[in-house]
Amino acid sequence: MNPEELKEKIKDVFVQYFELDREELKDEKQLFTDLGLDSLDIVDLIVGLQKEFKLDLRQYAGLREIRSFGDVCRVMEDLCRQNQR
Amino acid sequence: MRRVVISGYGSNTALGLDSDAVFAALMANHSGVVFMPEMDRYSGLNCRIGAPVTGFDAKSIPRQQRRSMGRMSIFAALAAREACARSAVQVERLASPRTGCIMGSTMGSATEMEAAFKTIIETGNLGEISSMQFFKCVSHTAAMNTAQFLGISGFVMSPAAACASAMQAIGLGFHLIRTGVLDMAFCGGAEEVNIMVCGSFDCLFAASTNFNGNPSASPRPFDAARDGVVCGEGAGVLVLESLESALSRNAPIFAEIAGYNSCGSGSNVSQSDTAAIGLCMRQALLDAKTEPGEVDYISAHATGTLQGDAAEAAAIQALLGARTPVSSLKGYFGHTLGASGAVELIAALQMMRDEMIIPTRNLERIAEDCGGIRHVQKTERCNIRCLVKNCFAFGGINAVLLCRRYER
Repeated sequence: MNPEELKEKIKDVFVQYFELDREELKDEKQLFTDLGLDSLDIVDLIVGLQKEFKLDLRQYAGLREIRSFGDVCRVMEDLCRQNQR
Repeated sequence: MRRVVISGYGSNTALGLDSDAVFAALMANHSGVVFMPEMDRYSGLNCRIGAPVTGFDAKSIPRQQRRSMGRMSIFAALAAREACARSAVQVERLASPRTGCIMGSTMGSATEMEAAFKTIIETGNLGEISSMQFFKCVSHTAAMNTAQFLGISGFVMSPAAACASAMQAIGLGFHLIRTGVLDMAFCGGAEEVNIMVCGSFDCLFAASTNFNGNPSASPRPFDAARDGVVCGEGAGVLVLESLESALSRNAPIFAEIAGYNSCGSGSNVSQSDTAAIGLCMRQALLDAKTEPGEVDYISAHATGTLQGDAAEAAAIQALLGARTPVSSLKGYFGHTLGASGAVELIAALQMMRDEMIIPTRNLERIAEDCGGIRHVQKTERCNIRCLVKNCFAFGGINAVLLCRRYER
C-alpha cells in the first residue's frame, strides 16, 4: 500500500468514527485543538485503526507522541512497514 | 410534605418524534405498528410485528454526547430535551445538586449488548470494541446519558423494572421531591425494540402472532380477539418539581402528582395478580387521599395479553365498578415497555388538558373476561380532574400513579 492509499484509509477511519469532513484532515491539523477530539476519542481512534489495518497498536510506544493528523499517518506508515518485514 | 407538580414533558414513539406529534396521531387513530421483516431471520419467533421509532435525527445531539448513546439513550435524550424546553428550565437549575435524573428501562440496551457479544463471540478480539460500547450497554444507560446530556448533577438513578420502570422512576422522583430531598427531577423511561425483549414475550406465548399480515389490528387491549403484546419503542420524560419551585420561576404546571404506590406480588413471576393490582391501586388512592368516586379516568396498562388484561379489568371493576372510563393506548404505539408509564402518562395529561379521552384502539368487541368496567371505544369529552395511570410488569411488579388537575 503506498502512502497516499494509506492516508485515505486513515481518513476513512476519522470520517467514520468522528464525523469529520475529509477536507479537514490535513497533516498539520492538531487532533485536540483543531479537530476537536478528546482522550476518549483517541481510544476509539486506536480501535478504528486496529480494525482497519488488522494491527495491534496498544503496545506501540510511539502512540504517546501523536499530536496531529500527520503524526497518525507517520505512525501508521511505520507500523505497516514493520509489519511487512 | 411538599406538593409536587409536573412542569414539563417530552416523548417520542412510533407515532411521532415529540409529544405533540404523538398526540395528534393518537387523535387521528393512527397505528405505529408495522411488519418487521428483520424478525424473519429468527426461527422460533412467531411475532413479526412491532412499533419502531423512525425518522429521528440522532445527529441533532452533538457527537461527543452522542457517542455513549445507543438507540434508547438517543430517544431518552430527545425526549428530555423536549421536556426541558417545555418546562423552560434554566441551565443553572439543571446543574443544581437538588435537580435529579431518574430514568428507567427494562435492561439497558439489548441491541448494543448484542453488538458487543457478536464481536466477542465471532472474533474473540476485544480490541475491536469501542471504548463507548460499555456505556451504551449498561442498565443505567438512559439515566446516565440523559443526565450527561442535560448537565444534571443531583441524584441520578435507574430503576430497572421492565414495564414498570418509567412509573417507578416517576414515583421515586415524586417521593424525593415530596420529602424535600430534591426540588426538581427529570423522570421517565426509554426502550428499544430488540429481539431479546420481543422474544421473551414470544417464548411465553404472550406475543401477538395472529396479525402479522395486518399489523395495525394489533395489539387489541381488552378485545375478544386479543392475542398478546406488540413491542414498541421510544421514550418519555416528565419534569417533576416542587410547587414552590415551579411557582418561583413561573413554570408551566400541567398537573399535580397526588399519590403513588408500587407493590409486588409473590404469586407468579410472569402473570398479573388481580388482588395485588387492586391493592396497589387502593394504596395509591389512599396516598392521594382520594376516594374511588373522584377518579375521572384510568389509563390502563392493558397490553393485549389474555391474562393481564383480564386481571386488570377485574381489579378495576372491584375498586371502581363500571363508572370510571378506562382506555389503553397500546393499540396505537405498541407496548413501549420501560418507557410506557411515562409515554402514556404524558398522553393522559394531554387528554386532561383537552378535556377528552382517547379510546382503546382495536377494541371492537369487549372480551367477556374484561367486562364489568366502562371501556372507552370512541373519543369522548371528559372533564378529567383526577386520573390514574397503571403499570404492571414481569415479576408481579405493580406501580400506580394518581394525578390531579392543578389548583392553587
